Amino acid sequence: MTTAATEAHPVPTADWVTIPDLYRNPYPIYQKLRAESPVHWVPAVNRYMVTSYQACHVIEQDQERFSADETNSLMKRAMGHSMLRKDDPEHDVDRKSYGNVLRPKAIKEHWNAIFQANSDKYLAQLKAAGSGADFIWDYAAPYAAENLRLIMGFHNATQEDMQRWSQTMIDGTGNYADDPEVWAKSEQSYNEVDDAIDEILPYLRKNPDSSLLSGMTSMPIPLEAIRANMKMTIGGGLNEPRDVLGTTVWALLANPDQLAQVLADEALYARAFEESVRWVAPIGMYPREVRQDTVLEGVQLPAGARLGIVVGAANRDPAVFEDPESFNINREKKPHLAFGGGNHFCAGAWVARASVAQIAMPQVFRELPNLRLDPDNAPVDAGWVFRGMTKMPVLWG
Amino acid sequence: MAKISFHHSDGNVDVLDVDPGTSLMRAAVTNGVDGIVGECGGQAMCATCHVYVRPEYLDRLPEISDDEEEMLECTAGPRDETRSRLGCQITVGEDLEQIEVDVPDDQI
Repeated sequence: MTTAATEAHPVPTADWVTIPDLYRNPYPIYQKLRAESPVHWVPAVNRYMVTSYQACHVIEQDQERFSADETNSLMKRAMGHSMLRKDDPEHDVDRKSYGNVLRPKAIKEHWNAIFQANSDKYLAQLKAAGSGADFIWDYAAPYAAENLRLIMGFHNATQEDMQRWSQTMIDGTGNYADDPEVWAKSEQSYNEVDDAIDEILPYLRKNPDSSLLSGMTSMPIPLEAIRANMKMTIGGGLNEPRDVLGTTVWALLANPDQLAQVLADEALYARAFEESVRWVAPIGMYPREVRQDTVLEGVQLPAGARLGIVVGAANRDPAVFEDPESFNINREKKPHLAFGGGNHFCAGAWVARASVAQIAMPQVFRELPNLRLDPDNAPVDAGWVFRGMTKMPVLWG
Repeated sequence: MAKISFHHSDGNVDVLDVDPGTSLMRAAVTNGVDGIVGECGGQAMCATCHVYVRPEYLDRLPEISDDEEEMLECTAGPRDETRSRLGCQITVGEDLEQIEVDVPDDQI
């Protein structure tokens, strides 16, 4: 009884895909891949890349066949074995240790006021830098970093520390080339974060607050798991809100009709946010490992196969989204996969929505009249595993 | 087996026979019922498996937990003070062999 196996297709190889091309603009590559097969073996990435919406969705809902606990994971080396690389029930224990800190009630009652104060502070710095300043590096990055520093409870670090830790450990997680210099920086941050946690936990035991680390002090969770989960949260909670903020502002500035709509009705910032993460998912790909020989959407995959779940491609699948390559806040509402799905659904989704769509974006457009891109200094969008604006000079007034 | 009926606003009904212990969300996602998203896999974290439970089944449901209460304030479709629940928090089985719910027009 081998019907499934005989009917299944072998996986096509996409040897024409290169990492520099993906980094510059992955979307034409995803279009070509998706049209041919939901899954490809991609030698340059040393993984099977899954690009169709349906195949990505099936994987997210089935941790028995598709495990997050990847063998020889670079993320485990760069950050320790966090909940993001565990399956249930082990994952669930770690996830529960985050308590209610990132949930809507805590955001409304506690964090929104802090996000507002941070936005006030860094918007003032952007204004002081003057028209022509870089929206990403003078506002979005320090704003996201300072929010995360306080949510996590790193009262003994600066937002600059948070930015350095995040970037260097993310670079370690993506260090497929095994560059020793990248590992050295990543390991330095690893050690700095461990030291900062060791220093702050006794303080938070005596001076509890609403932060994640404070909550950890009363949870039955081993220090090793706390350390790994905190590093994962630094890597997953800073660059992403920074990037969705940058990408959404960029998309609105490039689409004046949609910007006019949003300016006339601030409730539409939420729509702009969801459309932005669909259009450019800040985390474009994450790994899974096949547990047993299986067939995925008609394609045969062997046990042990290392997959890249390309939600950046799934979110532009024409089988689900009409005119998927366009940014359109008025499109028919459909669930995107930018926050992942199933048990690994992004724990910071509500924080991102509140800090970016409720607080930062309305204030930015209110206080920077006639905000526009600099025609003489073009913005740059880049990346594929992580994608966002690497440079965005803006003018106003 | 237990029976779940998902009533849609266009008059269509999806009727599922599922194993005892299955949540409404899991049954809907596994069987591709339109209008139930279930993004977060049942952690009461996303509010995309919102349903309106038909009145005759309301007194057989578990209490609304703090987490569910919080998420019911975040639903895309309007909350009904008595009938709104998250599908991931309702499990069919011995005490609830059958249930009928209306699916909201909006989940996101």
